Amino acid sequence: MTSNSQYALEMIDISKSFGNTIALSNVDLRVKKGTIHGLIGQNGAGKSTLMKILSGLYPAGSFTGQIVIDGNPVELNSTLDAQAVGISIVPQETTVADTLNVAENILLPEMSKSPLKPYDKSGALAKVSEFLNSYNIPLQPDKLASSLTLAEKQILMIARAIYLQPQVLVLDEPTSSLTGDEIKNLFAVTRTLKSLGITTVFITHKMDEIIELCDTVSILRDGQIVCQVDRSEFEVDVLVSHMIGRDLGDLYPPQQRVGNEAPVVLKVIDLVVGNPRKPGEPLLNPFSFELRQGEILGIGGLVGSGRSEIVKSLFGHYKILGGEVHVQGNPIKTRSVSESISHGFGYITEDRKAEGLFFNLAIKENFTASILKFLTNLSFLMKAAEKSKARVYLENLQVIPQNLDAPISSLSGGNQQKVVLGKSLITKPSILMLDEPTKGVDIASKAEIYKTIAEYAKQGYAVLLISSEFPELLAMSHRVIVFSGGQLVGEMAGGLENEKALMLMAIGAGNDSKN
Amino acid sequence: MTTTTARGLSDNLKSSLLRAVFLIAVVAIFAVQNPAFINGASIRSVIQGLVFVGIAAVFLTILITAGEFDISVGANAALAGTLAAQYVVGGEGVADDRSPWSGLLIGVLVGLIIGLINAFVVLVGNVPSFIATIAMLFIAKSLATYIPGGKPIPGYRDSWAEQGIDFQESFFLSNFSIIVLVVMIVVGHIVLKRTHFGVVIASIGSNKEAARTSGTQVKRVKTILFALTGAGAGLAGAVSVLHFGSIYFSLGSGWELTAIAAIVLGGTSLFGGRGTIIGLLFGLALMQTIASGMVAVGIDPWWQTVITGGIVLATLVVEQLRRKVS
Repeated sequence: MTSNSQYALEMIDISKSFGNTIALSNVDLRVKKGTIHGLIGQNGAGKSTLMKILSGLYPAGSFTGQIVIDGNPVELNSTLDAQAVGISIVPQETTVADTLNVAENILLPEMSKSPLKPYDKSGALAKVSEFLNSYNIPLQPDKLASSLTLAEKQILMIARAIYLQPQVLVLDEPTSSLTGDEIKNLFAVTRTLKSLGITTVFITHKMDEIIELCDTVSILRDGQIVCQVDRSEFEVDVLVSHMIGRDLGDLYPPQQRVGNEAPVVLKVIDLVVGNPRKPGEPLLNPFSFELRQGEILGIGGLVGSGRSEIVKSLFGHYKILGGEVHVQGNPIKTRSVSESISHGFGYITEDRKAEGLFFNLAIKENFTASILKFLTNLSFLMKAAEKSKARVYLENLQVIPQNLDAPISSLSGGNQQKVVLGKSLITKPSILMLDEPTKGVDIASKAEIYKTIAEYAKQGYAVLLISSEFPELLAMSHRVIVFSGGQLVGEMAGGLENEKALMLMAIGAGNDSKN
Repeated sequence: MTTTTARGLSDNLKSSLLRAVFLIAVVAIFAVQNPAFINGASIRSVIQGLVFVGIAAVFLTILITAGEFDISVGANAALAGTLAAQYVVGGEGVADDRSPWSGLLIGVLVGLIIGLINAFVVLVGNVPSFIATIAMLFIAKSLATYIPGGKPIPGYRDSWAEQGIDFQESFFLSNFSIIVLVVMIVVGHIVLKRTHFGVVIASIGSNKEAARTSGTQVKRVKTILFALTGAGAGLAGAVSVLHFGSIYFSLGSGWELTAIAAIVLGGTSLFGGRGTIIGLLFGLALMQTIASGMVAVGIDPWWQTVITGGIVLATLVVEQLRRKVS
């Protein structure tokens, strides 16, 4: 490696537009050798576009500006070009070959360079095993990729990128599907790389990760780098306000009061949810709760506490072994999803892609897909009605771009989530159940989503909210019921001041805490 | 870690054993019904019955592993065999026959060209391979009928007869088709399981994006595989003409389904990403044993295709259930 420059990577004066939309304007990014450089920005700020330029997916000529690696200007027209100059990118989406084992996935770039060479399976396993050990990466080389968890697949992709011994490793929101320990693991690997002189660009929208890990951070907002800050000058408030361009103050909307006089919409009495893997056995202990009109009821608990299973069982995903569910005072059964929908339940899962966005259709068609029968006249779609209906939600949710005809696939994650929410709200479910509605969503989009949920409750609908972010759960909910280890362990009022009490209760130590 | 290795191995072994037991059971059922089913001649006829479609199916298995399809293999074999026969026998007024070996070259060449056209339509035209190769099936099939005017082309081995070479007497010549199949199987197995290329192929069928970001030029690899599949089908057609000494009417008809059935029975995933040539061999043996066995025990020919189809359906359902469980 000849040291021509103090920078491993420079992207100079990069601009790119799609039609009339300017995605990046005059971006300057300079990454010092051997550092961990954070790139932070909200969804839609232009991070992905910048990385696609760096990975060669947007070839030279489709943008203006210059990419310089270690002092040498380069032209990148493909992923291969990028790899050849030492740029290795781990994309956000998991691209793992499920039918191959871990070792084969890691060696794939090497193998595709020398296809005629014999494949020595045990040699490959030994080689990868040694590599994984040397970086402390907790993966088994002979395990089939299809048997890995999502987090393990993420680690696998990072291992694959590291194996190429890149000069610049780019991690694009690597922690979005990882848990605490896995994140620690990833950070440790990143620090090991740093000690070996490898430069890392770490893209995220989580401020705490930047503060823990990065030497320098560049903040991208609306297609521009608004500032670059060194570690010694990190200050959360300043970074956040640079990132969102305004103060955090009004993130959560004010709460409407819900009194005891409000009618009970949903009453669950000693419900016993069946275990799908062991027929006849209960999945959770019996539980009871009430939900009133206009109320947002939070369901708190750690991952695995049973919180998701509650809403899934109400939505007809699990067999009910005992107990009762009353909606508007009438006992009902929840044997199937369509039955639950007919009783007024609406459900948004935490999995955006499975939730049923039509990725190749435009925003307006996604909004109105579930109410098409109300928009037709003699079976002909009333285009004007569709447009006006969809426009309401486009504006209320502040979806970017404000263009009904933009395809969903062109939207950032946060904006896709807004469409998911709008698609569900447009059917006006009387009991809206939300599982992690702001997962992987940037702060500005979160604010819009909170506002919309609060507004919906104010109109007299009832909301069940699940979130692993306790501040979000407490600030949004009137009351929170808490599950721990498959059991309903308590209830508390909403409000940010109860965060500690909620945590204690969720980990099973909260029995003595007041309220 | 070692336990996983052991489990992985035994899993492979288990499914191979399961298939072997199944094959033996099928043979036993027919043998009980008609003891004459197990003798040299009928085993020979089973092998001879699977050999041509088998030659065509080897590279098709690899193509399917990469996530693409070729429905035109049978029609391809028919056209390649026809043109090979025409070339060797010569038109009217051509005095001397050419060597039967040169026909093999023609067959492979014709198949290769058809494969390349398939690749072009699928990869440049962005047409799903299932559809594109159905179109090719019709085109090649019609040409194969039209070119010789619907008549057989006899006399493929005349030049050997003139030189005093007796085809039936020569062990090498009379078993040539089987030798070709064995060579193809060995080559196919090595390519798929013992080269880097094999892993790359599986990665394409498993997750195209993973392959692409690993630097694989997906379209180039697929072009090679379409061409190889075409060449294999062409070779199968030419070898069958060589074996029978003449182009025959039904050459290649129904191969596509027999081949795909055998491939799936063997454990190759129709969705790509996982392929096995050894499994293919098992699938071919099973398909042909059942076909021959049904003749041996005197099942109505109309029912034979129903039973064959039923077995394929059952296999697919079992495979799908297994995927779900794992």
